[in-house]
Amino acid sequence: MWTWKALKQREDGLLRPSAFRRGVVSSRASSLQLSNAKEFISLHRGAINSLEIDSTEGEGRYLLSAASDGTVAVFDTHRPTSSSTSSCASIAQHHPLFHLPRAHKFAISRALWYPVDTGLFITASFDHYVKLWDTNSTQVVLDYKLPAKVYGIAMSSIATSHSLIATATADVQVRLCDLASGAFAHTLSGHRDGVMSLEWSSSTEFVLITGGCDGAIRFWDIRRPGTFLLLDQSLSQLGTRPPLLPTPTPSNNESTSLPASSKSSSSTPILPAQKRRSHKKIQLKPPTQSSHPGMASSQNRATAHYGAVNGLRATADGFYLLSSGSDSRLRLWDIESGRNTLVNYEAMSIQTSKPIQLAVTPDSSLVFVPCLASLKAYDLWSGTTINTYRGHYESVNCCFFNAQYQELYTGSNDRQILVWSPSIPAATQIVYLYILGIP
Amino acid sequence: MSVWNYVVTAHKPTNVTHSCVGNFTAPNQLNLIIAKCTRIEIHLLTPHGLQPMLDVPIYGRIATLELFRPHNEAQDFLFIATQRYKFCVLQWDAESSDLITRAMGDVSDRIGRPTDNGQIGIIDPDCRLIGLHLYDGLFKVIPFDNKGQLKEAFNIRLEELQVLDIKFLYGCSKPTIGVLYQDNKDARHVKTYEVSLKDKDFVEGPWSQSNLDNGAGLLIPVPLPLGGVIIIGEETIVYCSATAFKAIPIRPSIIRAYGRVDADGSRYLLSDHTGLLHLLVIIHEKERVTGLKIENLGETSVASTISYLDNAVVYVGSSYGDSQLIKLNLQPDAKGSYVEVLDRYVNLGPITDFCIVDLERQGQGQVVTCSGAYKDGSLRVVRNGIGINEQAAVELEGIKGLWSLKSSTDDPHDTFLVVSFITETRFLAMNMEDELEETEIEGFDAQTQTLYCQNAINDQLVQVTSNAVRLVSSTSRELLDQWNAPAGFSVNVATANASQVLLATGGGNLVYIEIRESKLVEVKHIQLEYEISCLDINPIGENSTHSSLAAVGMWTDISVRIFSLPGLELFKKENLGGEIIPRSVLLCAFEGVPYLLCALGDGHLFSFQLNISNGALGDRKKVSLGTQPISLRTFSSKDTTHVFAASDRPTVIYSSNKKLLYSNVNLKEVSHMCPFNTAAFPDSLAIAKEGELSIGTIDDIQKLHIRTIPLGEHARRICHQEKTRTFAICTLRAASTEDMETHFVRLLDDQSFDIISTYALDAYEYGCCVLSCSFAEDSNAYYCVGTAYVLPEENEPSKGRILIFAVEDGKLQLLAEKETKGAVYRLNSFNGKLLAAINQKIQLYKWVAREDGSHELQSECGHHGHILALYVQTRGDFIVVGDLMKSISLLVYKHEEGAIEELARDYNANWMTAVEILDDDVYLGAENNFNLFTVRKNSDAATDEERGRLEVVGEFHLGEFINCFRHGSLVMRLPDSDTGAIIPTVIFGTVNGVIGIVASLPHDQYLFLEKLQVNLVKVIKGVGGLSHEQWRSFNNEKKTVDARNFLDGDLIESFLDLSRVKMEEVSKTMGVPVEELCKRVEELTRLH
Repeated sequence: MWTWKALKQREDGLLRPSAFRRGVVSSRASSLQLSNAKEFISLHRGAINSLEIDSTEGEGRYLLSAASDGTVAVFDTHRPTSSSTSSCASIAQHHPLFHLPRAHKFAISRALWYPVDTGLFITASFDHYVKLWDTNSTQVVLDYKLPAKVYGIAMSSIATSHSLIATATADVQVRLCDLASGAFAHTLSGHRDGVMSLEWSSSTEFVLITGGCDGAIRFWDIRRPGTFLLLDQSLSQLGTRPPLLPTPTPSNNESTSLPASSKSSSSTPILPAQKRRSHKKIQLKPPTQSSHPGMASSQNRATAHYGAVNGLRATADGFYLLSSGSDSRLRLWDIESGRNTLVNYEAMSIQTSKPIQLAVTPDSSLVFVPCLASLKAYDLWSGTTINTYRGHYESVNCCFFNAQYQELYTGSNDRQILVWSPSIPAATQIVYLYILGIP
Repeated sequence: MSVWNYVVTAHKPTNVTHSCVGNFTAPNQLNLIIAKCTRIEIHLLTPHGLQPMLDVPIYGRIATLELFRPHNEAQDFLFIATQRYKFCVLQWDAESSDLITRAMGDVSDRIGRPTDNGQIGIIDPDCRLIGLHLYDGLFKVIPFDNKGQLKEAFNIRLEELQVLDIKFLYGCSKPTIGVLYQDNKDARHVKTYEVSLKDKDFVEGPWSQSNLDNGAGLLIPVPLPLGGVIIIGEETIVYCSATAFKAIPIRPSIIRAYGRVDADGSRYLLSDHTGLLHLLVIIHEKERVTGLKIENLGETSVASTISYLDNAVVYVGSSYGDSQLIKLNLQPDAKGSYVEVLDRYVNLGPITDFCIVDLERQGQGQVVTCSGAYKDGSLRVVRNGIGINEQAAVELEGIKGLWSLKSSTDDPHDTFLVVSFITETRFLAMNMEDELEETEIEGFDAQTQTLYCQNAINDQLVQVTSNAVRLVSSTSRELLDQWNAPAGFSVNVATANASQVLLATGGGNLVYIEIRESKLVEVKHIQLEYEISCLDINPIGENSTHSSLAAVGMWTDISVRIFSLPGLELFKKENLGGEIIPRSVLLCAFEGVPYLLCALGDGHLFSFQLNISNGALGDRKKVSLGTQPISLRTFSSKDTTHVFAASDRPTVIYSSNKKLLYSNVNLKEVSHMCPFNTAAFPDSLAIAKEGELSIGTIDDIQKLHIRTIPLGEHARRICHQEKTRTFAICTLRAASTEDMETHFVRLLDDQSFDIISTYALDAYEYGCCVLSCSFAEDSNAYYCVGTAYVLPEENEPSKGRILIFAVEDGKLQLLAEKETKGAVYRLNSFNGKLLAAINQKIQLYKWVAREDGSHELQSECGHHGHILALYVQTRGDFIVVGDLMKSISLLVYKHEEGAIEELARDYNANWMTAVEILDDDVYLGAENNFNLFTVRKNSDAATDEERGRLEVVGEFHLGEFINCFRHGSLVMRLPDSDTGAIIPTVIFGTVNGVIGIVASLPHDQYLFLEKLQVNLVKVIKGVGGLSHEQWRSFNNEKKTVDARNFLDGDLIESFLDLSRVKMEEVSKTMGVPVEELCKRVEELTRLH
C-alpha cells in the first residue's frame, strides 16, 4: 500500500522524491529477514571478524570479508557467480571473486576498503601487522609492524588532505599510519589500556574517536596534541541537543564560561542547573592552552562504559556516536556536547573478548548490534527492539548494512556470512507525513 | 551514436510553487512575484490587471522565495534559496529593468541529514535575521547587521528532528521562532525559541503548546497588535499565543496554502486539498482574541500558494490545476460562491503520461498529456503552432487576391470581402442573415483582376486594377475619381494605405498618388533601372493613415530599397544576394520596434530592423519558412499586430521580448489571407487555400498552443489507437473518503475528445498502464490495460490483471483477461507478444487462439532480479528496464531458448523515474534527484565483466522530475532543412508541466555547440550570481560530478536574446560570425 501510493504521489509531485526514497529505504530496512534468494559461499575456516562494502561513488558493490584463519575474500554482491538464477526457486550464489588463504599469520581482526576506490584494501591482524593490498594483483604493497595485536583500523572516508590509517591495538597508544609516506605519522597517547575500537568523525576529517579497554572514549584532533573530549557516562542530557540557554537576565554577562553562576532555570528537570553549567564549554574545540591539554585530559579518568569499549559507530549525519561495551550496554552520545543521551536500549548481551562491528541505517533510524549468536535491531531514538535476527549458530562478530539495496550482511564465529534482505520488495506500512506542501 | 545530447525546454514550467506580493520594482508599485520551480516571474499590478515585467530562469530549484525590507530601504528585496543550498538576495534596478544581486552564498553543511519535509526559509519580520531549516536537527541563522548587510551564518542545534513548519513570530523584542514538529510517538506540538545572536544559541521562548491536531501542518504568524500564531490542522484550527488559546473545529481537510488579507492579520484565506477557499477571521476585542470564525467562499484550483493583491483580487497559484486570478465579491452568486475567476494561467503539471499523435495527419506531432490532479485533472493537447478554427468555407478556384473593406471608416466591422481572380473581381458581403453573398460595388471595376483594395480616409474606398486606380465613396458606392495608367503601360504591382497609393507600371516606373477628399492626386513619378517586384507603404509611424517610407523589391539586382514619401528619394538599398527575387515586402512594427520583412520566391524570409527617420536597415536575419513564394499581410489579434506569411507552410510572425518568432499555422497551403472581422465572425481571417475560401478564427498567438479537455477526474495514463481513431485513458475519481477511489478505463474519440465508452475497474483495482498493440498472427488492434489490486491490508499489491479490449462499434469490449501475481507496472508490445513488468518480474505472454476462435494470454517466460521493474522499453529483442532503485538493466529475449536473460546492468544506485532507448547501444534514464543520464552497452568489450556493465556516458542535472519519455517531435520535420539529416528527438514530460526535448546531435555539431555553451556561460550570468556549471552538475546522495555529453539548450538558445554587443563578444571568442551563430542556433530552435 505504501510504495504503491508513494509511487503515485511521487509521480503527481505530492511526495518529494527524497522523502519517497527515505520512506522506501526505511520501510525496507525494518523488514529484513534471512534471504531466501541470495547467499555468500564462505571459504573461511575461522570466525568472520570483518565485513565491509566499498563506499566508492555510486557503486558499493564489493564485499570484503576477513576471518580468524588469516584469510581475506572479496565477493560481488550484485552479480551472482553461479548461473542458476532463471528458475524462481533457486538461490543466487555468490562465490568469492578471490580468496587469499594466508594473508596474515594469525587472525585478521579488520579489513577495510581504501575509501577512494576498490584498487586497494587494508587488513589488520593479531600478528601485529597492518597490510595494504593491491586488489587486482592481490599483493601486499605496504605493511606496518605494530608493537601489539591490532584490534581495529579505520580510514576517514571524507578526508581530502590526509590518507591516514588509524590503528587500535593492545598497546595503549593509537598510531596513525600514513599511506603517503609509508611510515607512522603520529601516536596518540591517553588510553590506559589497549584500544579496541575506533572511528573517524563523519563531519570533520581531522577528528578521530577511539574506545579503549579502559572504558574510555576519547576524541582526538590529529592536528593538535592530546584528547580534546573524553566521554563521561555520568554526564547526560535529556533529548537530542544540549539544554537551552536559560532565559537571560540583563545584569549578567552570559557568554562567559564561569561555572560560578548557578542561577535557577526552568528547563531540563533532570539535572541540577549547576552541573549542567559546569560542562557547557565542552565542545568540538580543543580547550585553551593554559595547561598542557593532553596531560589535563589524561588525568581525567571518566569512563563511557564499565568495561572495554568494543564497538563505535558514528551516525551518517555526524551528530551522534553509538558505543557498545563489554558491560553489554549500547550508548548514544551527542558528539557536540559529549553527553550521554540516556537512551535505554533494551536488554542485550554483547561478547566481551572481541571488538564488534555495529551498523546504523543511513537515516539513523535503526542500529544493528551483534548480541552473541543473534543480532538485534533497535530504534535508535527510543531504544526499543525492532527485530531480533536469529540464524547464526555461534557469536556474531560483525554486521554491515548495505544502504544501497537495504541488505544486511553478518559474519559469525560459525564461519558463515549470512544475507538478510527486505522480506517484501519495497515496503511495509510505515507512518508517513510527507504529503504536505510542494516538492 | 546518440551519445551527444541537447536538452531544451519546449514548454516552460507552469507549476506555481511560491508567490509573494510587495513593493519590489519601485516604492509605489505593487508587484506579484511568482516562482515556477526554476523560474521567477515579476508582475506589476495595474488597474487593468497583471502586467508582466520579467521572466527569468534561476539556476536551481527554488526552495524558498521571500520578500523583505531591510531598515532604511524604500522598497523590498527578494530572498531566494535553492534546493541545492544556494541563496541570493536580489534587488530591482529600475534603470536597466533588471535584477541585481545584493548578496549570495552557499548554506550547505557537512553535518546533518537533508530534511525530507521541505526546506524552510524565513525572514524575521523586523529584519534582524534570516532563518533556514535545511537539515534535520539544525537551524541556520544568517544575521543582518545594522546596515542591512548579511553577516556570517551559524547553526543552532534544534532538538526537534521532524520539523513540519517554522515561522518567525511578530512583535518580539528578540527574534523568536515557533516550531511545529512531530515527536517519536507521532504527536505534534509547537514550541517557541528566542534566537540569541550573541550566544549563537536558542533561549527558551515565551510559550509552547503540546498535543495538537495530528494533522497539524501549517503555522501562520499573526502580526501585531494580536501576535501569536494560527496552527492549521486537519480537523481543528487553533490560535495560540502566550496569553490566549482559541480553537475551532473544521470539516476534515488538508490545508496547504494561506494568504493574509489584512495588514493587521485579522483575516486569512485558506485553500484546502479539494480547492475550496475559506476565509478565516480572528475575532478580537482590541488586542484580545476572543475567537475564530471560518467561512467557505467558493471553489478555485487546488492552491499551492495564495497572494492577496489588492481590492479583493487574489492570485491563486496551483500545482495541480491552472493558476487563477480571482476576485472576491461581497455578495454570493447564484451558486453561493463569492469567487469570480478573472483570469486563468495554464498549468500542464503534473504530466503523469502523454502520447504523441498526428490527429490532423499533417506530419506534425501533437502531444496529448494527462495533466493536473484530482478535480483539476484534464487532458491537454499541446501543439506547436497556431490553429485556425474554420467557421465557414466556400469552394472558389483561382483566387489571386483577398481584401476586406468596411462600409465606413468608423465601422468596427468589415462588410465586404473583395476576391480577385485572373479575369474578374467579385464582391462578397454579409447579408442580414449573416450569410456571405455576392454583391456589387458600383464604382469598382468587376471585369478585371484587382491588384489592391483599401479603405481610405473620408469614407472612401480605393481599388487598383491593372489599368486604373479608382476612388469610390463607401456610402454611395459611386466612383469619385479615377487615375488611369499611361497608355501602353499597365500596373503590375500596387499597394495603398488610407491616404496613399503606390504603384509600379512596367519599365520600372514608380508612381506615388495621394488620396484626398474625393480626389486622387499623382504626386511623384520616378523611373528605376529595373522592374519592380513588390511594394509596401504600410504606415508604421505615429500617423496610422500615412507612411513616410516606402519599401520596394526589385527584379534583376535582387534588392530591396527604402524610399521616402512623398519625395520618393532613395534612402537605402539593400542587396539580398542570391538569385531569387523578393516577392513580398512589408513594413511593420512589433512591440514598437519597426521592421522590414522581405519574402523571397523560394520561401525564405529576410527581416531587418528599420530606422524610421532615415530608412537605415540593421540586424539582418534570414530564415526559411517554406519552399514556395510567400505573401505577407498584417492582422490583429487581441489588439496586437502580427504578420501572416501565406505560403506552402503558412506561418505567423510575431514578437515576444523584442524577438521575432515564427509559428506554424495548422493549414496546409495558403495562397492569400486577409483579416475579416464581422459581427457574425468576429476577429476572423479570410483565407484562400487550394480551391477554397474559408473563414476562421485564430488561436492566441503563441508558440505552443494548448487546448484543455477538462475531465473532472484524474487521468493517469493515455494511449492512442490509430486504427480506431480513439484514445484510451486510465482515470481515477476520488470519493469523499480518502481510500475509496474508483478507477476507470475510458475510451475517447480522438477528434471530439468525447468519452464514448467506459469500463469500470473492480473495487480496489487501479489502472497502472495502457497500451495499444496487435499480436503476431492477429493484426487487429487491441487496448491492453494492466492493473493492480491495492488492498488496504496488503503491503504490496499481490494481485493484478491484464485486460485485453477491442473497440467494437465505439465500445470497449473485454476479450480476455489474465490474472497476475502483482501490479502490472508496464506493458510493451514485443515481437508480436505482450511484455509485462509485474512487481520484481518481467513476464512475456503469447496471444494464443483457442479452439472456439477466442484468444487468451499464455505465459511464455520471465526474468527475475529486480526490486520493482517500474519502467520498461523495448527495441527488437532487447528490453531496457528501469528499476525502482537499481538503475538501468538490459535484457535480451533469446528466441531459440524462449528465455529472457540479463545482458548488462548499470551498477550505480540510481532510483529511476523513466527510461528510453535512444538507439541500439545508448539508453537514456531519468532519476529521483532530477538528473538525466545516458548509459552505453559495451558489446565489443574484451571481458565479461565489461560486457556486463552499462557504461555511464552522459550525466546532466535537469532540475525537473521526469515521468515519461516518448520518441517524437512537436514540429514538422522537413528533410530538406539545412541541418541535413533529421536529428532524432525524444520528448519528456515533468511534474512541473515542462515539455522538453532531448535531441541526439551529430558529433561535430555537438562540439561546436559545446564551445558556444562554454562561451555563453561567460557572457550570460545566472540570476543572483548562481553558477551554471554547478546547476547542471549531476548530483545525488552519493556524488556530484560535472555535466558531460549533455548540452543546456535553454542557455544556448538564449543567445538569440542577447544584445548585438554581447553577441559580437561571443562571436569574437568563438571566431565565428554572428550571422553564422544566429543561423545555427535558430536551426536548433526549430527542433521544438
